[in-house]
Amino acid sequence: MFVKSNFNIMKNSQLYKGSLNTIIMKLLEENGRMYGYEITQRVKEITKGELNITEGALYPALHKLEAEDLLDVEVEKVDNRLRKYYKLTEQGTKETVNRLSELEEFIKNMQTIVNPKLSY
Amino acid sequence: MKLINEQIEYLFQFTRQHYVEWYDLQTELVDHLANAIEEQWQQNPKLSFEDALQIEFKKFGVFGFMDVVEKRQIALRKKYNKLVWQHFKTFFTIPKIIGTATVFLALVLLMLKYPFANIVILTIFMISALIFWIGMIKLSRKNKKQTQLMGKKWLFKDIIYGFGTFGGLSYIPIQIALQMYDKISFFNLIPSIIISATVTSILLFNYIILFIIPSKAEHYLKETYPEYELASSL
Repeated sequence: MFVKSNFNIMKNSQLYKGSLNTIIMKLLEENGRMYGYEITQRVKEITKGELNITEGALYPALHKLEAEDLLDVEVEKVDNRLRKYYKLTEQGTKETVNRLSELEEFIKNMQTIVNPKLSY
Repeated sequence: MKLINEQIEYLFQFTRQHYVEWYDLQTELVDHLANAIEEQWQQNPKLSFEDALQIEFKKFGVFGFMDVVEKRQIALRKKYNKLVWQHFKTFFTIPKIIGTATVFLALVLLMLKYPFANIVILTIFMISALIFWIGMIKLSRKNKKQTQLMGKKWLFKDIIYGFGTFGGLSYIPIQIALQMYDKISFFNLIPSIIISATVTSILLFNYIILFIIPSKAEHYLKETYPEYELASSL
């Protein structure tokens, strides 16, 4: 959706790294609460496999957002193991709106620079 | 196809073998690996558990779980420092500020009026560092005992009982005090104010790190880990 169209070639680049937190927050805004594995799968599904969030990047990002009080955690016993769910805090919900508009602005500007003919 | 209990137990062992000592991180990684293996079995039911695990582990990159562990430590240390800072700020609100101001002013007066104030200040620095070290040893022993009983290590608990990064900083005040000892005249107003503020802050941090936060450790752990109670009963 917001990351797919223009940056396909640079899938593991810094560009994505900078947007990872926003991607996570957007997904949580849409889905309420999610666990780590579910997030990686959902991103793959939405981007039809174009974008792969690596495990080594996802959990540090989740833990950082949690420590910043943007995410809250819930733990439940599912099957024979404990599952940790993440959801946005009130502060996190507000921050998501800010970060999304920032990202949209960024994409708009990049489009104007990279592809001036398509600019609006 | 779902993972059986023995396989889950094996995954816990696997994370431990790959340097994840804390239970809070182990559970999250075990659930992740388990989900991923089950997903692989849906695509290819003949795949062995061990092979599926290796495929998933490779996805974490050449450093395995190390990066996840390291970043988790950084995140929780930040959380701890924030906690210390929040407590510190309360000493500058009513009614606690009365106590803070009294200590601060008493120290300023001492330095302005008393000719051997430098000896007194050095002694305060030494004693507070000593209390800090003794407290640190006592609490880390207590933590070790509890961990042995519970059989599980919690990262945030280790940070609380190991004082985050403050432990390593505890010798700095003594260094400063020793440096100042015969170089600074304590009879001037500005140095007196600066030193008093430093001493007051050190005493406050000592009190927060050594007494306040450990006394509320259970509360903070339950807040950080919803599974804390659940795991204690497992």
